[in-house]
Amino acid sequence: MTTLDHGEPDVVPITELAIDPVHIERLTQTKLLSDASIEREFSFSDRTAEQKMVAATVLAFKELGFELIPAKLSAPDGWNPKKNPDGTATDEWGRILSFDPKCKLWVPTGGSFTSPEEFERFPFPDPQAPGRTFPIVETKRRIGDEIALAGFIRDPFAYAWEMFRITDFVRWLYEKPNFIRHVIERGTDFNIEMIKQIADAQADLIVSEGDYAEKRGPLVPVKFFKDVILPNLRRQVGAAHRAGLKFIKHSDGNLNPIMDDLADMVDGVHSLDPSAGMDIGEVKSRYGDKLVLMGNVSVDNLCTKTKEEIVQETKECLRKAAPGGGFILSSSNSWYTDAKLENCLAMVDTGRKYGRYPIAA
Amino acid sequence: MPMTSILEKIEQTFAEVSGTGSMKEHAQDALAQHIPPLEILGSMRKGLATAGAKYERGEYFLSELVMTGIMAQDLSIMLKPYLQGAKNQFLAKVVIGTAKGDLHDIGKNLVSIMLSSAGFQVLDLGVDAPPERFTEAIERDRPRIVAISCLLTIAMDAMKTTIDRLERQGFRKEVRVLVGGRPITSDFARLIGADGYGADAIEAVSVAKAALAK
Repeated sequence: MTTLDHGEPDVVPITELAIDPVHIERLTQTKLLSDASIEREFSFSDRTAEQKMVAATVLAFKELGFELIPAKLSAPDGWNPKKNPDGTATDEWGRILSFDPKCKLWVPTGGSFTSPEEFERFPFPDPQAPGRTFPIVETKRRIGDEIALAGFIRDPFAYAWEMFRITDFVRWLYEKPNFIRHVIERGTDFNIEMIKQIADAQADLIVSEGDYAEKRGPLVPVKFFKDVILPNLRRQVGAAHRAGLKFIKHSDGNLNPIMDDLADMVDGVHSLDPSAGMDIGEVKSRYGDKLVLMGNVSVDNLCTKTKEEIVQETKECLRKAAPGGGFILSSSNSWYTDAKLENCLAMVDTGRKYGRYPIAA
Repeated sequence: MPMTSILEKIEQTFAEVSGTGSMKEHAQDALAQHIPPLEILGSMRKGLATAGAKYERGEYFLSELVMTGIMAQDLSIMLKPYLQGAKNQFLAKVVIGTAKGDLHDIGKNLVSIMLSSAGFQVLDLGVDAPPERFTEAIERDRPRIVAISCLLTIAMDAMKTTIDRLERQGFRKEVRVLVGGRPITSDFARLIGADGYGADAIEAVSVAKAALAK
C-alpha cells in the first residue's frame, strides 16, 4: 500500500494480474481441472469449482511471495450460461464464449447482438443479484490482511467491444454513436455498484481490465475517448475513491495518445506494453509523480526468450521504474499458458534480488 | 455535378472516414451520372490508400481502419449489380484463417476486410483452423494466396505445421503463404518457410500484391 501512495517500501512489490490455470496447477501441485465437467463448466457460478480455484490461487500467490492478489467478479448465484449448439456459450453480457482447451479457460470470441434493438430487449446484468463478489469474498477470507487484494472490474468499453461483432461495434460507433455511448454508460452504472460491493468485501484496490489500445494506438478515435470512454472511467474512479479504494487501469497496447488524460484520472496503469512501444522509463519520467506503474516484463518474451534474457529485462524494468517507489513489478499482461514457468520464476527471483530499496536511479 | 468532383468526393469519404451515409450518397450520384463502377471502385481504392497511410503515420487507429473496410464492403454490395458481366475485378483469391490453437479473429478479420477492399476475393476459414482445413480449401477453391494469422505464441508452431502440410501434399508451389499476427516477425516467417509477412493489416495488402508479382 506504501507503493500505491508513491512511497518507497522495503522491497519492490511483485504480482501478476492473472496466472493461467496450468501454471497454478504446477505451482501448487494440484490438479484443478481434472474433472471433465469442471473443465467444461468452470467459471459459470459453479461455486465449488470457484472455491477450488481461489484456494489454489491463494496458495500459489503465497508460495510466490506476491504482495498483491487479484480476484475477479463472478456470475450471480444460480446463473447458468446459454449453451449454444456449436459448443460455445453465451454469457450474461451477450458475449459468445469458446472454451480454449489448452488454456482451460472460456474466452470471449464474439458477440450475439445483431442490432441495437436486440440489445435493448436483452436483460442487462443486474448488479444487485447476489453472489457476484463470491471469489473476492472467498479470497479475502483466505488471505486476511496478509496480502493486498485487488478486486477486478471489466471496463464498459471492453464489454461493448466484445458484446457486438467488431464490424457492428465500429459501424454503430460511426452511425449510432449515442447508442454506443448508452451501452458504455449502462456498463459504467453496473461497475459503480460493483465497486461499492468490492469495497464492502474489503478489497484494497480496484483493477479495471479490458484493453483501450492495440499496438499502434487506441482502438477507437481519441475524440470518442475524450467524449465518452474517459468521462465514464472518471465516474468509476470517483466511485472507487469515495469507497477508499485506489484504481489501477490495465490496458495492452500503445496508450501514449491518451496518457495525459489517464494520468489525471487513475492512480496507476498496468501493462505498459513493451510490444506496443510503451517505454516504462519514459512513462516514469513523465507521469511517475501521478501514476503507480505496474509492469512491464514482456509477456511475449516470457514465452520465447531464455531465462538469462528475462533476468536482464527484469533488471532493466527495475532500473527504469523502481527508483523513488510507485512501482509494482509484473509481466506486461499475465502468466499466460504458453509462458515458460522458469522464465516467470526468474522474473520473480530477479525482482527479489535487485528490488530492495533504496534503488538508485 | 462534374464527374471528377463526384469521384473525388467518393475518394474523400474514404480518406476522411466519413461514414457510409455520405459515401452511399455520392456513389448513387455517380451511378446516376453513368460513371463506370470500376472507376468508382478506383476512387475508393485511392481513398483507402490515403486512410491506410494515415494509419501508418499514427493519425488513424484501428476503428478508422475497420470503418473504411465496412464502407468498402457496403460500396461493393451497392455496385455488384452494375458489375455483372464486367471483367473479373478480383486481383486474386485468398484463403485466410487463424492458426490451430488460437481462437482470436480480430487481426484476421481486419486483414480480410483490407484485402477485400483492395480487390482480393477472400475466403475465410475461421479460427482454430487445422492444417487440413487449409489444404482442403486449396484443393477446393484454388487460391493464389494462403494467409495464416495468430495472436498467441501457442499457435506459432501450427503455422509451421500448416506450411509443412502444404509441402507434403504438393500444394506448396501453387500458393504464396503469408503470415502475420502479434508474435510473428519477419525472421519467424522466413524460418517457417513463409513467402511473406505483414506487420499489420495495411502491410498485408502490399505484401499480398507483391506476392502476386513473384
